[in-house]
Amino acid sequence: MDSKLYLAENVLNERHTVTYRSLSRSLKVHANRAKQILYEFHRTENAKRPQSVHATYVISGVQKPTPPPATNGHTNDEDEVMQSSPYLPSSMPNQEAASDVVSIASILLVREEDLEDAKATFESVKTIHVYSVQAAPLQDLNTLTTVYRELALASTQDDPLECGSQWGMIQNRHVKRRSGTRAPPAAKTATTAKPESTVPAKRSLPTKEPAVRQENKPDESQPTSDSQSSVKSSSKSAAPKKGKSSLFSSFAKTKPPKPKQADSQATQSGADDVMPDDASEDDAEELFPESGDKAPSTNRETKKEREEKLKKMMEEEDADDEEMADADEEPQREPTPEEQPPPPPPPSKAAELKEEVTVHGGRRRGRRQVIKKKTVKDEEGYLVTREEATWESFSEDEPAPPKKKPAVNVAKAKGKPTGQGNIMSFFGKK
Amino acid sequence: MTATEDNGYLRPPSDEKYDAVYRQPSSYNPLHTFTLPMGSDRHYQQQYGDMYFLRLAKLKPAVEKIATVAWGELTIAGESARRVDRVLDVRQGELCWMAGTVYMDMPLKPNILEDLTKETFTSAPPSRRTYTDPSNPSATQIMVEDESGRIRLTGNLLLSTQLATGVIIAALGTETVDGEFEVIDIKVPDLAPQPERWARGRLLPAESEEAAKEKSGKSGKIAFISGLGITGTSSDTLALELLSDYLLGYTGIDDSADPSRITRLIIAGNSLGASVTADAAATAADNAVKKKLAPKKYGYDASAYNSSPITQLDNFLAELLPSIPVTLMAGESDPANFSLPQQGIHRAMFPRSRAYCAPPSTGDNKQEVGWFDSVSNPWEGDVEGWRLWGCSGQNVDDVLRYLDFPSDDVDPVVDRDDSEARLRIMEAMLRWRCGVPTAPDTIWSYPFQTIDPFILESSPHIFFTGNQPVFKTTVIEAEAPFRLDGDMEMKESDADTLNARVRILSIPRFKDTGELILVDTETLEVEVIRFGAFAGQEEKK
Repeated sequence: MDSKLYLAENVLNERHTVTYRSLSRSLKVHANRAKQILYEFHRTENAKRPQSVHATYVISGVQKPTPPPATNGHTNDEDEVMQSSPYLPSSMPNQEAASDVVSIASILLVREEDLEDAKATFESVKTIHVYSVQAAPLQDLNTLTTVYRELALASTQDDPLECGSQWGMIQNRHVKRRSGTRAPPAAKTATTAKPESTVPAKRSLPTKEPAVRQENKPDESQPTSDSQSSVKSSSKSAAPKKGKSSLFSSFAKTKPPKPKQADSQATQSGADDVMPDDASEDDAEELFPESGDKAPSTNRETKKEREEKLKKMMEEEDADDEEMADADEEPQREPTPEEQPPPPPPPSKAAELKEEVTVHGGRRRGRRQVIKKKTVKDEEGYLVTREEATWESFSEDEPAPPKKKPAVNVAKAKGKPTGQGNIMSFFGKK
Repeated sequence: MTATEDNGYLRPPSDEKYDAVYRQPSSYNPLHTFTLPMGSDRHYQQQYGDMYFLRLAKLKPAVEKIATVAWGELTIAGESARRVDRVLDVRQGELCWMAGTVYMDMPLKPNILEDLTKETFTSAPPSRRTYTDPSNPSATQIMVEDESGRIRLTGNLLLSTQLATGVIIAALGTETVDGEFEVIDIKVPDLAPQPERWARGRLLPAESEEAAKEKSGKSGKIAFISGLGITGTSSDTLALELLSDYLLGYTGIDDSADPSRITRLIIAGNSLGASVTADAAATAADNAVKKKLAPKKYGYDASAYNSSPITQLDNFLAELLPSIPVTLMAGESDPANFSLPQQGIHRAMFPRSRAYCAPPSTGDNKQEVGWFDSVSNPWEGDVEGWRLWGCSGQNVDDVLRYLDFPSDDVDPVVDRDDSEARLRIMEAMLRWRCGVPTAPDTIWSYPFQTIDPFILESSPHIFFTGNQPVFKTTVIEAEAPFRLDGDMEMKESDADTLNARVRILSIPRFKDTGELILVDTETLEVEVIRFGAFAGQEEKK
């Protein structure tokens, strides 16, 4: 018989614990029938070979009242003052003293060996059924919960609304369940604004900086939420979600050096000499051993520093401002790794207006257009806040050693999993 | 293994056909009394004084009405009791009565001003068993205040009266030479008017006629549980498993406790174990040092955050929901805001169960009621026509700290002892018409501006508190005097309250007791079902 085979295999051979519910689900039989199957199995196997199968039982019924009723119980008694003296410790501490008017039914899980003892505590037994069978006596009844958990895991495929009747679950005609997931919010429509020249931005730099700092957050949280909601709908979580942090940091970090980079984009080879090895430092060193030998000591040193920073960043999500304050002074000295933006955000194209990418000195770098709020003082001395599209530079690591020729780099980049793959290796490794 | 009482389970499998069992429908109509405004409309800058003002404004008429009836014609030694409008108008030596808010100054009560002067800022006050100083009872001062000022109460009556901060009372007495108010008698607002059953309309699902037939005369049951205390370890789920087996109908008992009659499960807080949050905080603190050295991980740190309790809870709920609607209240140890009213645990915490939630509200539409309803704490609503008002236990726990008990903390029996007190406190709350009197004084609370939701505008039919040490229940009625104070002939003027009967439930922690409470929907009779493992020879060794 199917059920006997199943039980013999699971209980005797595999030495698993089989409960009536796991049996009921595995064989798609009614729970009450499963109880009988287990009983039959337990009986016949032990008839063949005593003590080969052990069972646990569930007893339900009314237990005998616990020895001395611990309270006088009449809760309507108005005379009783609250500051009553403590009761004498007359009974076992774990006994619950409930009002005597209330009927208490008990459902107890009992080992086979204790069955008679347990029954003796009952005033009237309503039902007894086999709960589980296993090859060895259970030392700890709590191990049964693992069966339950496996059951919960295994049953995620079965729709309980459909299979419930098979298992003998109480049906409910009125159950309300939503189907499907929420539709992701409509993608943000790209607004096309004319790029203004970066000259005014540069001129008003001192007044502008704080404004940008404040405004960049709303700007970037938009793509974040977009990407997140799309993540939700596609139910892929790992990589893009983690991209969130990199998104913030990349925007935050690239901002301060912006005017410089934007101006001298083509001729910015000076900085590139330093940056690539720092950038590859962002990735795991063992992936790119070449970068390590360039400046190993500083790498070690700055790595710590960078971790410190990243941690801080993770801990206070909103602390971008603070980070940027540091970053402001940093372009002067040699760019440290923490300044290096992690790879750019997961595709949030909708938020960006335009993007131009060049591969330069071993890394992809480019400019993209973003909408920013800018506050400038006009001729009459008023502060005017305008929204305008400005160019912002970004850069991205190229999975290639810095010494190689650019042409080779491009070819290699095509073959490699590109920037996105980089994120995966960057985050996935740790 | 005798097969006498086996009910057919201890026998070889037969070809018996099992009929599908259908659960009785649930009529459910929650109130959103404790739902806070969303997002940017939720402000924390307001002063808490408004709440006291609102409470006094609301309850003063009620208590004055009762006091007028009781003391209006009262004369003592030829002097008639005069009503004083404001606390400050009390004149020395004159018999009078006044109404106001009780404020209790207690030696061990957390005091924000003290904290400020000491410059010690703690995120949460350490929990104390009591605010009183048992060695020095006189350090506790009871005062009555209104918008004009406050006056200190004295008198022997106070020793036998239980009061807590935030309660509105009327006090009869005279001012002594010390400027204190010698109390002769105290009145409280007493039970608020109780709505009829089905006062808010029958909201049975569409095929209610058919459902009524299906019922075949059997009344339904509302199941209450609290303090599941899921920790995600193997130690806690066995009773839970038996519970879900029972609720789903796999372990039928008999007719009276037939699980198919249970129409709704209400979980009154602390579904997750308190130790989980505490441990997590502790480990977080421990790890703070280590973390500095450890490589930074992105995403959540598995060492500091343990998702298994909430996953277990989600699985538990997802298991039940296909069969039984669930109302889940937040509790002290649950992942919700800490200050009352706690808002419902967010559905994002329940990836599996949230399919049964109401769809997210869209605009101004009236929020649809979910099959799985994650609600606030305290919570109020109609189930099967009965008004329910419940809290996850903070209200009772806190008021208990205002009352002095024999200070034998070492004695474990003390826990049992205060169970009666807890029931009395719940009764007192109903008579105070205030479900959480000590908020915002010693329970953190949202600073309400326009309403004090903790006022019981109407008496519920079932008043429950979760996470209590033991199960207790009682029924109180409005006619019963609040205290035995020799003033029994108090006349009930308010006809509405005459019939008010409230079933009080103190729901035990499931983790400790394994008890599920069933309340009959017709008679409001209570049953208890206890789940557990039999401690056999193995454990006793």
